[in-house]
Amino acid sequence: MKLICAIIKPHVLDDVRDELAKAGVQGLTVTEVKGFGRQKGHTEIYRGAEYTVDFVPKVKLEAVVADALVEAASNAIIKTARTGSIGDGKVFVSDVGQTIRIRTGEVGDEAL
Amino acid sequence: MTLDNPHSRNAGKNSIANCLQEARSTLATEIRQARGGVQATQVYSTQIDHLLARIRSESTASPDSPAALVAIGGYGRSQLCLHSDIDLLILFDGPIASNEEQLVKDLLHPLWDLGLVVGQQVRQIDELSHLETSNPSFLVAVADARFVTGDAKVFNQFIQHVRGPESVWRQPTIEALRGLVEERHRHFNSTIYQLEPDVKEAPGALRDVAAIRALASLAKAPIAPAPFGRLDDALNEAEDFLLRIRSILHLDNGRNLNTLSHEHQETIAERFGSPGSEAGGQVETLMSAYFHHARIIARILTTNLNEIGPIPGPSRRRRIADNIECNNQLINFIDNVRASLQPHTWLEVFQAAIDEGCLVAPETLAFMERHGDRYPTEAFLPGNKARDQWLHFLKPKPGLYERLSEMHENRLLSRIFPEFRKIYCRVIRDFYHKYTVDEHTLLTIRNLCELTDQQTAARNRFGGVLAELEQPELIVLALLFHDVGKWTNKNHAEESVRMARGPLQRLKVSPESIQTVEFLIRHHLQMSQTAFRRDTGDLEVTRQFSRLVGTEDRLKMLCLLTVADIQAVSPETLTPWKEELLWKLYVDTYNHLTLGYGDELIATSQPSVSELRKFRPPEISEHQVTEFLKGLPQRYLRLADTKTVYRHIKLSRNLEPSQVRLSLVQDNDVWELSVVTKDRPRIFSNICGVLSYFGMDILRGQAMSNHQEVVLDLFRFIDADRFLEMNRSGRADLTTLLEDVASGMVDLGTMLKGREAAAQANHNKLRVRTVVHFDHHYSDRYTVLEVVGANQWGLLHRISRVISEHGCDIELVLISTEGNRAIDVFHLTSNGKKLGPDKEQNLFTDLKQALTSPSSPT
Repeated sequence: MKLICAIIKPHVLDDVRDELAKAGVQGLTVTEVKGFGRQKGHTEIYRGAEYTVDFVPKVKLEAVVADALVEAASNAIIKTARTGSIGDGKVFVSDVGQTIRIRTGEVGDEAL
Repeated sequence: MTLDNPHSRNAGKNSIANCLQEARSTLATEIRQARGGVQATQVYSTQIDHLLARIRSESTASPDSPAALVAIGGYGRSQLCLHSDIDLLILFDGPIASNEEQLVKDLLHPLWDLGLVVGQQVRQIDELSHLETSNPSFLVAVADARFVTGDAKVFNQFIQHVRGPESVWRQPTIEALRGLVEERHRHFNSTIYQLEPDVKEAPGALRDVAAIRALASLAKAPIAPAPFGRLDDALNEAEDFLLRIRSILHLDNGRNLNTLSHEHQETIAERFGSPGSEAGGQVETLMSAYFHHARIIARILTTNLNEIGPIPGPSRRRRIADNIECNNQLINFIDNVRASLQPHTWLEVFQAAIDEGCLVAPETLAFMERHGDRYPTEAFLPGNKARDQWLHFLKPKPGLYERLSEMHENRLLSRIFPEFRKIYCRVIRDFYHKYTVDEHTLLTIRNLCELTDQQTAARNRFGGVLAELEQPELIVLALLFHDVGKWTNKNHAEESVRMARGPLQRLKVSPESIQTVEFLIRHHLQMSQTAFRRDTGDLEVTRQFSRLVGTEDRLKMLCLLTVADIQAVSPETLTPWKEELLWKLYVDTYNHLTLGYGDELIATSQPSVSELRKFRPPEISEHQVTEFLKGLPQRYLRLADTKTVYRHIKLSRNLEPSQVRLSLVQDNDVWELSVVTKDRPRIFSNICGVLSYFGMDILRGQAMSNHQEVVLDLFRFIDADRFLEMNRSGRADLTTLLEDVASGMVDLGTMLKGREAAAQANHNKLRVRTVVHFDHHYSDRYTVLEVVGANQWGLLHRISRVISEHGCDIELVLISTEGNRAIDVFHLTSNGKKLGPDKEQNLFTDLKQALTSPSSPT
């Protein structure tokens, strides 16, 4: 099992969710986040005055998937979230030790 | 064995458990038949009393101090539901030593073993002479104290302490109760109109009933809910209704959960036998009944809290208006008979309440409710005066939401605007809305009004935008009707626009304002959809959104409406993250509208031009229309209506090089000046100078020119000295001076010199940071100069003079004055090209100097 954590632009969320569902991902968690990558925020001008926006609003998306699904899920995110411009985000994949469904006590892939 | 024989010493733990089970089973049977109300919970509470009496009698502990077992809280009120906590106070008339502790254990352990949740308090009577002000919940729970078993003398002593004539508990308990009510209501956003209400904790729910009863028992004199008539019966009925629901929730959930979720609404509506052929209809009936009861409870509680507590401020009677007075911080009519004949004056009561920071007297609200039916809608809005009063009333400010809520509660709002009736307690079932449609609507207005509070730092950037608007009441009007179309499941925005037309016309709002309100209603979801679901980093998205809003004013209004609307969905919906996205879209669009509009010229084949041609007067030719529009920015058609465009075309026909033509129109306090002339050096600077010379305060303005080098300068200004009104020759004087200055016959610099010294003195008093900024991003054709500074006499003339002296051509200008701040945007060229770096730097230096030291030579 792997945890796929993706930081994406807010407007692509709906499309990414649909693509992940098509790829077989059963559930995911979405969080509103702010941050910066290589772009290091940006400068905004309002009425002649410059403001530095250090942290840019993004969406963090987390899903735990079976090993067999990692590639399809990652590709679904990358394909859908890519606009080609700076700030498209990143996908992180990491190992998950165990998953337990609280209601039934099922463990492992069964719990996903 | 039943609990009816409480003193049986032969009963064992198992039989007590059985008896409890029997009592619970009886209650469950009642609940299944939707009869778990006041009577059933009272019977169950009595059974628990008997159980406690048995447990007490079976205890072998022999305390040295006499003891009493007292029911407090909900148990004290004999309203135990299946999974309610059992709140107990164990009182001793003496020190609590090991024997007393043993009794406490003997009482509590069996209850715990039975699986009951107990909230116990153990006190010595002596301790009660000291108030536990740090424990407001305990103070309030004690207000419901009821003797269960033990030494009745101890209980009587206790009652003397907390409720006797000399009791020091009374007022602190009232204050504790008031504090708890406020805190609890705040948690629910202070509204009864929850789509999934907590029938115990929510405003208008069971805890409020308890608060009303506690206040009644704490009041020295009876508190009179007389204006509403038969309230005791209504309150009892409401309490029974809510208890029946709560009982079912406990039974179905198997624990102390009190939220009437959408899912439970369906099952409970069925058990209640709510009329309706489908689940949706039954739920609507159930929830209508719920809100009916909740409203009664909330109204009684508000009245009682107002009557029982000390009211801050002067408590004397004074006349506010012809037939309105303020009596003890409550606004009411002086002569009800007169008021009943003049429904158009009723709004003045609510206006007075806002102005005075008071409430409308309950009897006045009830009076309106009784008499409102006698009048048709038109009687409340008889003419232009009523329109002006309404538009003034609807300006966002603290108190507006509360007054509109009062008008909604006493049905006045839906009598004046019957369209609002369609969404009365309307339930929309989805995952994110928390309130009924009518309450959501009123909350949007509350949110907008909160933006006027400068202390609310969290959203002060939006508050700043609100402060800049000339007609913020148009947002309130739009909010009031933005969801009335939700009575249907079709496209609610379009239906809302259709329904809003009636009230807007009855209010006799100007056609321009109607257009703005309709725009806001029609597109009220557009900004959030663009900000959250489209790539706002894409310039084309910003461009499209700019085209949609068209002007800065509409952008500001739509932005504020969106913020207020999202925030009213639920307290958690408008996160700082969402605010950031909305603000980014606002700023990008604002910049596009003010800095980037110069490159978007009118195409004579575009639809809006075809539309314009349909209304072409016969004396103007097709060719003249085309030639006039060529080279003007798209922005012009977004700002000027058809009539204005043709007026400008007429002014521009057969224009001689030396001629200056103008039209001057008065719109309330504001004058609108259109100047049409042939392009020449310093023309914009000179027009600004002439307006300054006559003391005009320029609010808005724009300047542009077409391919025929016809200059079109449009100004909105205030004539503070009323020069144009007071002097018959005022218009002629203005025109003559404009012509003389434009032709070089008069040296404007000399005429203005004396006044600039005065401007210097005033300049130092204004604290606005001066900003001079050159933008290179938004236009391919022009260097865009943005100047922000303190609004002062002759500012525009001074800036434009400096620009002209540097050999720069002013191609387009946008002027905006917001409070004491002037925001001016100039699109510049030099020899038909963008400014070079050196020229830009020199201009920057001289502008800075001119703006910080107005009288210095430039």
